[in-house]
Amino acid sequence: MQFGFYFDQSRCTGCYACVIACRDWHNITDTSVEIRKVIPLEQGKYPEIKLSYISLSCCHCEIPACKEACPAGAISKREIDGIMVVDQDECLGKDSCKMFCKEACPYDAPQFAKEDNAKMQICSMCTDRLDDHKKPVCVDSCPMRALDFGTMDELKEKYGNIREVSGFTYSEVTEPSIIFKPRY
Amino acid sequence: MLKVHVEDHIITRIETDDGEGTQLRACARGRAYRQRVYSPDRLKYPMKRTGERGEGKFKRISWDQAFEEVSSELTRIKETYAPEAILNISYSGNTGTFLHNQLSLFRLLTMFGGFTPIWGSASFWGSLFSSETTFGTVTAGHTGDDIPNAKYIIMWGWNPAETVQKTNTAHYLSLAKEKGIKIVSIDPRFTDSAAAFASQWIPIRPGTDTAMIIAMAYVMINEDLHDKKFLEKYTTGFDKFEAYVLGTDDKQPKTPAWAETITGVKAETIKQIARQYAQNKPSKILTLGAPGRTAFGEQFHRSLSTLSAMTGNIGIYGGEPAAFGLPPVGLQPAAGTGLIARKMTGNLPEGARQRPALHITKLWDAILKGKDGGYPADIKMAYITNGNPVNQFMNSNKAVEALKKLETIIVHEQFMTPTAKYADILLPVNTQFERNDIIRPWQGGPYCIYLNKVIDSLYESKSDLEICTGLAEKLGLSGYNDLTEDEWLRDFWEAAKDMTDSKPLPDYDTFKKEGIFKIKTDKPVIAFEKQIKDPENNPFPTPSGKIEIYSKKLEERNTPNLPPIPMYIETWEGKNDPLLEKYPLQLITTHSKKRIHSNMDNIQWMKDLEPHVVWINSEDAKTRGIENNDKAHVFNDRGKISIKVKVTERIIPGTVSIGQGAWYSPDKEGVDRGGCANVLLKDEHSPAGAFCSNTCLVEINKSKN
Repeated sequence: MQFGFYFDQSRCTGCYACVIACRDWHNITDTSVEIRKVIPLEQGKYPEIKLSYISLSCCHCEIPACKEACPAGAISKREIDGIMVVDQDECLGKDSCKMFCKEACPYDAPQFAKEDNAKMQICSMCTDRLDDHKKPVCVDSCPMRALDFGTMDELKEKYGNIREVSGFTYSEVTEPSIIFKPRY
Repeated sequence: MLKVHVEDHIITRIETDDGEGTQLRACARGRAYRQRVYSPDRLKYPMKRTGERGEGKFKRISWDQAFEEVSSELTRIKETYAPEAILNISYSGNTGTFLHNQLSLFRLLTMFGGFTPIWGSASFWGSLFSSETTFGTVTAGHTGDDIPNAKYIIMWGWNPAETVQKTNTAHYLSLAKEKGIKIVSIDPRFTDSAAAFASQWIPIRPGTDTAMIIAMAYVMINEDLHDKKFLEKYTTGFDKFEAYVLGTDDKQPKTPAWAETITGVKAETIKQIARQYAQNKPSKILTLGAPGRTAFGEQFHRSLSTLSAMTGNIGIYGGEPAAFGLPPVGLQPAAGTGLIARKMTGNLPEGARQRPALHITKLWDAILKGKDGGYPADIKMAYITNGNPVNQFMNSNKAVEALKKLETIIVHEQFMTPTAKYADILLPVNTQFERNDIIRPWQGGPYCIYLNKVIDSLYESKSDLEICTGLAEKLGLSGYNDLTEDEWLRDFWEAAKDMTDSKPLPDYDTFKKEGIFKIKTDKPVIAFEKQIKDPENNPFPTPSGKIEIYSKKLEERNTPNLPPIPMYIETWEGKNDPLLEKYPLQLITTHSKKRIHSNMDNIQWMKDLEPHVVWINSEDAKTRGIENNDKAHVFNDRGKISIKVKVTERIIPGTVSIGQGAWYSPDKEGVDRGGCANVLLKDEHSPAGAFCSNTCLVEINKSKN
């Protein structure tokens, strides 16, 4: 089984509620650590303009490049649900290993705080909330109901299987676990 | 709605509504509130100024000394001059809460013997005035769940994706879009709302919306698209408006071609929008305040409501009076201001005008000029709570000049804001998590919340009510606050029963225990249903009992540029102002999703979401040699601010846009390094009292720093 996210770009207004909810739930005070981020994309020329946002965290890829890249074997993928896990004790820290995981990831998901030799942090899909039968906090926070969470099979059943959207290219190599509804 | 987790008296996390039905999900600002409560910048204890005003240098004093000094200053000013020498600048920092708000000081100073009050609203005065004039009430909106009932929607200068307005408004717009309803955005900017919901964006020059509306009326009259039976039955004075639109008197028919030269919107587009709005009934025009925050802003709202009457879109599902958006459900505004206010007179807008009050745009001028300048009082002392007027009222440099002239300034605050820096005595206020209160949604709606105290007041902070209670004791005022917090709230809740159509309200203890009261409605709630279905027995609350397109009251008031019918009046600092040669760009000041006005600007989680920037169209940037992310100065005769540039296609050429609320921070040369938009705004209001924050000319230059 593989858990994944659904993102309805047509609904997203770029309000950042998911970003703040994530920072609050996981107590991330260093704002350079972007476990979940919202990225705007403006296209076109006045007055014919397209504007969309993409809300993104780690995509918990089927074949995670970060895991392969880690020299310390600190990154693993849970067999039961495919959630990526970083062993904070094993991670060498950003200054000791040149952040190979971040370089390998097509989506810039691995995050490091500003502090010296900070360890890698990544979206945990709020496993603590899953244990409580709640969805990840970003999903439950979205005022637009643009985010959803479930097994990839459930999500495909519910939303189809669109895997690309403006601002996001599907990687055949890593197979990210995310489904989209595009705005345009 | 916020659900706050507390462990060992410490707030650990914030969640939002996870209940049944349509959840009231909080925006980013609410989700970030924990960082506000625990910000290292919180004011911790009472302080007395040691440096110059504005330097921000203070020393700690005790509460007893603070009460002693503030009460003796109040007494000295009253006895040396007059009570009116005390200017009460208590604004909207906690508006909507029943107990802990700006009215604590209002009550204290009233019992003390008087003061000079302020009037006006920086937000929506044009809309408020227009609603009262046209419909006789501000309860003139539909609940958000009616949005998908429309067949056609115009978002006019309206951006709820960022401003929220009512919780779930944006959610209902997305449902409408998914249902296939056509949504149009008329706005100088391609906003997040335009991008998310609209299939058509019509850029328009700021301050000219009324011309487009009146040309739409022309198209409807010319093509016989208006609902003459509705106008006949429910409105007054359409004939006079029609004569104006057709140019019977002034020989200027208000054609789409006429409007095109004013608005920059193609005549063909104006015709298309007029036809689509009239022919897709029920149709909604949704707006709030922005186009009305202009030199003659009330005309925008008056003419917009006239369009809704011309198409009979009033009192029906999927329609909208295009007026002030309070729906007739839940607790009405009078309940929100609580007993503290209702025991006082003159708090309501009309009442405030009858007192010798100062308009919020005129405070600085009044302090500088006093009675010699025609103002009602010579102000010697300012007492400021629940607001950041240096930053949020117009002309910040003039604010500083005025505040430096005063003998005494007292400020209640949570942070060292640009205004707090000018205090002589600065008193720390607690946050909404540190006291009990009740709140109704500010623009109405089918719920109200018991805001229970989740932690004790941090440091030595107190609520405004506690501070004023301390002062009342020093001043020997008995009866200021004889009740406990719980007794006040219980009284308010009892009284609220008379100020709601949602009966019965749960009893106080149940409400307090459950924390929220959601009013179950089986369908949307709309305004004026009874007035339309059965007009004989349900007249509109206007003098004529009808929708007043022509207002006899305005005719009698006979104020220049406040005509009895809606008209287009050209703004000052618009495209025909000679000042345009020197300052060729129109400035609009918008609401940022990172802030609630100037609130949250110092909160890191919010601050880092997006940079604070001025928007400029690529065409205007090119002629000035400005590139994206450059530093620039935006300036006019009133001041100069330093700000980063966003070169974008998302704004009409000739206009620049700055999110209001960034904190004013002038350097030695007088350049505001904080990028506070109000440095640039003219301290003037419309004839009815609208805050003209979208009527302003500026120039912009690339700068080195």
